[in-house]
Amino acid sequence: MTGTTGPATTGPATTGPATTSLAVTGSATGGTAAALQSALAAENAAIYGYGVAGAQLGTAARDQALRDWTLHELARDRLQAMLTSLGVKPVAAQPAYQLPFPVHGTQAAISLAGYLENQVAAAYLGIVALGDPRLRAWGAREARACALRATTWLGRTAAFPGLSSRSGPAAARPSASP
Amino acid sequence: MRADLRRRSVLAATVLAVPLAAAGCKGVGGLGTLPKAGPDVAVLRGAIGTEQALIARYRSAMAGSPGLAGMLGPLLAQHREHLARLRSMLIEPASPSATPRPAPSSSRSTVPGSPAAATLAALETAETDAASSLAARLALAPPALAQLLASIAASEASHALFLRTHEAAG
Repeated sequence: MTGTTGPATTGPATTGPATTSLAVTGSATGGTAAALQSALAAENAAIYGYGVAGAQLGTAARDQALRDWTLHELARDRLQAMLTSLGVKPVAAQPAYQLPFPVHGTQAAISLAGYLENQVAAAYLGIVALGDPRLRAWGAREARACALRATTWLGRTAAFPGLSSRSGPAAARPSASP
Repeated sequence: MRADLRRRSVLAATVLAVPLAAAGCKGVGGLGTLPKAGPDVAVLRGAIGTEQALIARYRSAMAGSPGLAGMLGPLLAQHREHLARLRSMLIEPASPSATPRPAPSSSRSTVPGSPAAATLAALETAETDAASSLAARLALAPPALAQLLASIAASEASHALFLRTHEAAG
């Protein structure tokens, strides 16, 4: 019952938490490290994905993708520093990630950005499950930031950012766009 | 659906842990006492009240400004999803007064017939307040409920952004 049983993060953001390389023992620290590693893996995947999306976007949207890409890089740096301070080796980014769907053209690139934000939000909800109130609050703020970026990209809101709303397809959600 | 069941069983385990722990301390006699509702139940009730107040506010806004129904309807539907999910985690027997239902505060309530922009601005404030209120309850919640509250708070923050965008556009 550590905090590692977060919401399902299927997709390119999931790599197994490197629990075997933990330098610090103790279940609380192990759960914290695993949740931070999952968030870091999701950020690494998002950084890659924003690169793919940006290449498909026009000038204005590409600028927005660049801003969001930079925010994910900053979050990655922070997670790496947190893990290092715990004595844990941060997971490395993979050279490439499998995309959830083919990304050709503007609409697919925007969909990818929304998808990535939801995946990263899911990983931060894993941090919200930890016992430390400060980490919880921080994880919640990061998940909110992901939801806001997703809404900016998609022009609609989600009922449960970072959580699967039901077993049914997420695409069934009505668009709030006028 | 499976996720719902999982969360429900987590909360159920929380409630069950109380009599088991009591039995461990006090022997068989401990089994005779009903567990007191834990702080997580109070958190859940508070969150349910927050959602009910938001739903009332949206209904009032849509009644007062029917032209906004197309834009507000999907947001209202998401609040109903929030409420249903929160209620599914409340497994204690229901009593008539179990759920406090705070009335929408009259100071910022929507006046029927008020300009659409003012209606949207009032809803945006209500969404932001609700998100803050849920986020403030995180520390008291068990892990699965904390995740749900954080997700709903994120949803409501994005509602506020959505409404603000449409205020600016309108």
